[in-house]
Amino acid sequence: MPQANIMHTASDKERQTQLALWLLLPLAAMLFSLAGHAETDTAPTNDTCYVDGLPDRLRCGFVTVPENYAHPEGRQLNIHYAVLPAIKPSFTKEALLAIAGGPGQSAIENAPTFDRMLSKVRQQRDILLIDQRGTGQSNLLQCEGEGFEGALSLNEDDLDIASETQKCLDGLDADVSQYGSEIALKDFEAVRAHLGYDKLHVYGISYGTRMAQLYMRHYPQVLATVTLDGVVPMQQSVLHIGDAIDRAIGLLLDDCSSNALCHGQFADLEQDLQQVNTRLAQAPVSSQVRDPLTNEPLTLVMTRAKFMGALRMAMYTPNIRALLPHAIHQAAQDNFQAIMGLYALTIDSTGIAAGMHSSVVCGEDWQRFSQVERQQAEQNYFTREMVDAFDLSCPIWNVPAVDAEFSAPITSNIPTLVLSGQLDPATPPSWGEMAMAQLSNAKHFIAPYATHGVAYQSCGNDLIAQLVSNNSLDGLSDDCLSKDVRRNFYLNANTVEALPAAKQALSSTSHTEAQGVNHD
Amino acid sequence: MINTIIAMVRKELIDAARDKRSVMAGLYYAIGAPLMMCGMFMLLIGQITSPEALNITITHGERAPDLVKFLASDDISQGDKADRKEIELIISQDYASNMAKSRAAELTLIADNSNEKLQSSIRRIEKSLQQYSAEMGSLRLIARGIDPKVVQPIKVTIEDQATSDSKGGMILGIAIFMMVYAVFISGMNLAIDTSAGERERNSLALLLSHPVSTRDIVLAKVTAVTIFAMLGLILTLIISKIAYGFVPWQELGFSVNITPDFIGLMLVIGLPIALMAASLQLFVSFMAKSFKEAQSYLTIVLIVPMMLSMAASYNIAPDTLQWLPVSGQMQALIAFIKGKEIPQMQLLLSSATTLAITLALMFGMERSLKSEKIVFGL
Amino acid sequence: MIKVANLSKRIGDVQALNDLSFEALDGQITGLLGPNGAGKTTCLRTVFGLLKPDNGTAEIDGIDVAKFPVEAKQQLGLFPDPFGLYERLTPREYVSYFAELNGLPRAQAKAAAASVLNKLHMDDIADRKCKGFSQGQRMKTALAQAIVHEPTNIILDEPTRGLDVMSTRVLRDLLKDLKAAGHCVLFSSHVMQEVAALCDRVIVMAQGKVVAIGSPEQLCQQTGKASLEDAFIELIGTDEGIAA
Repeated sequence: MPQANIMHTASDKERQTQLALWLLLPLAAMLFSLAGHAETDTAPTNDTCYVDGLPDRLRCGFVTVPENYAHPEGRQLNIHYAVLPAIKPSFTKEALLAIAGGPGQSAIENAPTFDRMLSKVRQQRDILLIDQRGTGQSNLLQCEGEGFEGALSLNEDDLDIASETQKCLDGLDADVSQYGSEIALKDFEAVRAHLGYDKLHVYGISYGTRMAQLYMRHYPQVLATVTLDGVVPMQQSVLHIGDAIDRAIGLLLDDCSSNALCHGQFADLEQDLQQVNTRLAQAPVSSQVRDPLTNEPLTLVMTRAKFMGALRMAMYTPNIRALLPHAIHQAAQDNFQAIMGLYALTIDSTGIAAGMHSSVVCGEDWQRFSQVERQQAEQNYFTREMVDAFDLSCPIWNVPAVDAEFSAPITSNIPTLVLSGQLDPATPPSWGEMAMAQLSNAKHFIAPYATHGVAYQSCGNDLIAQLVSNNSLDGLSDDCLSKDVRRNFYLNANTVEALPAAKQALSSTSHTEAQGVNHD
Repeated sequence: MINTIIAMVRKELIDAARDKRSVMAGLYYAIGAPLMMCGMFMLLIGQITSPEALNITITHGERAPDLVKFLASDDISQGDKADRKEIELIISQDYASNMAKSRAAELTLIADNSNEKLQSSIRRIEKSLQQYSAEMGSLRLIARGIDPKVVQPIKVTIEDQATSDSKGGMILGIAIFMMVYAVFISGMNLAIDTSAGERERNSLALLLSHPVSTRDIVLAKVTAVTIFAMLGLILTLIISKIAYGFVPWQELGFSVNITPDFIGLMLVIGLPIALMAASLQLFVSFMAKSFKEAQSYLTIVLIVPMMLSMAASYNIAPDTLQWLPVSGQMQALIAFIKGKEIPQMQLLLSSATTLAITLALMFGMERSLKSEKIVFGL
Repeated sequence: MIKVANLSKRIGDVQALNDLSFEALDGQITGLLGPNGAGKTTCLRTVFGLLKPDNGTAEIDGIDVAKFPVEAKQQLGLFPDPFGLYERLTPREYVSYFAELNGLPRAQAKAAAASVLNKLHMDDIADRKCKGFSQGQRMKTALAQAIVHEPTNIILDEPTRGLDVMSTRVLRDLLKDLKAAGHCVLFSSHVMQEVAALCDRVIVMAQGKVVAIGSPEQLCQQTGKASLEDAFIELIGTDEGIAA
């Protein structure tokens, strides 16, 4: 994944962006994700393989399953898996199954981030990664798009989503109705049985939490522990994400105004944001720029979709989020350089299998998003955009809706750790609370400074290791999550530290502690 | 003839088994050495791995609050003064003003890099600082509308062929060396007792007065000592297998696993070495005038196999060394544990050299037992 | 029968054996008498093939020791000085071990050991480790070892050294029994009484040479002395190194 590598230099912790993505604007997913997937060197005949970005030898293979379990003789799929072998295998009959987000991300391609996050678990247990059907190497349902050369010059409103969707569907050699979560769960079980694990510890991130919850519902006997990180409760459609994004933007503005340096530099951030939104809602702003990557001249068509998309995606990662006040402020001054830089990060980075994404969302979320809910969301930019797009694409995709029981809360007494990030722009803490409804042996920890993917940004991964090794929630405490890891916002295009003029003023009155930094 | 040899071997073993000194020498090593190794490694792992919370001195942290915060999120902070490592990070006076203008902002890291206990901590700080620098660099480019990929012209993909077993190869080199050494140590006391000791107790002359050939005597004594050495090796392997399981190797990112396959191979490879060790020790002890003298000679002689096997484990040896006894076999064992192909030619040759040396020593002993000087210690 | 002919052996600067010749016959007890340093032990060691003579031969029942050591030694039993016991073995193990070395199969070796231990009245100590044995018990063990395989020839090197009276008597009786059974018994000694009391023939040695051979009476006659003691002093020119 090319994106994964840029993010790696920026910060290890940024990498979670790719993994944790829940639901892009569907058009972006369908058009631009084609190159987001990198070939791993898995040779099914050979047990050893390597994954881009991870030097370790992995054990790889696949299990052949029918595409449609009702027709076992029909088309067959190879469900690929990779095992990160335990450093010191002490529990050979157990593994931790890590389930990727998206929906549509490949778990195997995300092996390096899983490996880093789960390193303590891996010391004694295998980490099992499965490319869910329709993703990665398991019959990838990808749509051919126009590439990203034109992405910056494109006005998204001009896109014909219906015909793009039809083109995509025509290009797929698959029965797209067979790529929902519950069918994919049977594949997971087949892989587990094939590898001979008696018990699984499950870690689900983002959309992966839906798979984990279904696992709890359908195969509770094989689960030892469950961790739901950035949880999507069964009870509601993911299209509610628009509210979560708005909430996160509000928190961003609050954070800046309560930070002395940020507030000093960007006193009118909310107005700035309003101003840009209003202006772009009227008409896109075109300007002559240089391509962020190739330095070729091009015309940037700054639309509201690009601006809000860049904003939204930047909020997934704490240290990219730090650039937002500056980027918004510059945009209000008619300088879209920083926004373009942020948007460019999102273009080819998602690694989302758009076809599989549609199969899941159209079957499990779009159809149960009620008329009432639609009306309530009318004022929300993101929800409106998403609903409009799915209204065009889902009828073409034409997958049956899930049963009503699908939306029932999960009832379980399996030790379950639920993690939510206070700043999460996708799955806010209230969603975690909803998931807890009928979990009798669960704890819900809210990390005050984390965004989406708590385990990647805090001591959450240590809590998972503790849960897995104890097989119990006993003694698990959220104390370490409250450690203040907040960083400064960028005050210009260069620095996060106090600007010289401001610093002089501050140091003369020995108020350098004003940013709340504790030297201990 | 065979019956006589069997009778002699049986007698030597009974005799040795009742000799506390011989038995304890073997036992102490076979049990003690693996346990001590494990204890040592446990201590070492604690010493060389950087502590979870790394406390250092940060001078003028107030000049770079965000950096301090970043380090803290990596568990690097000032902490209690008493717990601080001898590492100091100084933030320059113009750090913030340089940063604000995208000029290089200076940090000074003061530490003694030759201090092994600090090395991993120093590397951790350096890595953390680089990460911070790279993160800021990327965000500065993004703020300018440039994709950070631009400053990463090359992407290097590493496919490490190591398994978590083979990463422990260096440690295993020492462990294997210790096992090979068990062969030398376990039989040593018996070797001295049955040669120099036998002469000192005047039973050697009596033995030679009986109708047995000196060749039979040599064969019997070498066999008895070899059996003792192999018993020591087996015991060492069993203790090692159990004890090594308790060391938290995974904290160093690898595992040390003594498999039944390895034990089997070790025993097969160990046999010629045990034969050589037995004949070498007997030969030297016969040459010595007394028990004490034999002990001091053997202590010196044992350095040779030790050097050979050290050379093999640290790969400091010239290639010719791989054909020599002990080091050739050690390299084969290390290759096996690393999951590589065993260098068969090399193993065969070094085993052949080992056996050739054994035969030469045995022949020499057979001759020397006919010599009055040796028999009567003249 | 033990026969040495023209044995010469230099050890260092000393001519330990100097053209030594004698015979020890079956059914007789032959004493090798000489002062300390006369070459008795060197002579016996040569007979056992432990030392190589510079010149001359040693034969046991007509077999040249130098040429066929194993065959020759099978006809020999040795009571060494010092005994060379294995302190961690019991007399039973010790004796049966040497029986096996002399070619007896294991079962037979065990039986022979049992019988000889019984004969020497050692049953009470047969299964105790030799460590801590009294001198008499050690002597018996060494003797049992020497005769367990019933060799035709038995050589004893200073057998009575350090023995108490009782043990000496036991030893004497046993030697007489062996003689009566037709064995060839050769022992070295520097104790005149012992030689006088036991020996059919005495070989007097001094400085590696045979000075005189004969029965005690013949030696007295030969020198014209009344006692063997005087005869002895006459023969070797001094009484140094000889015990009465």
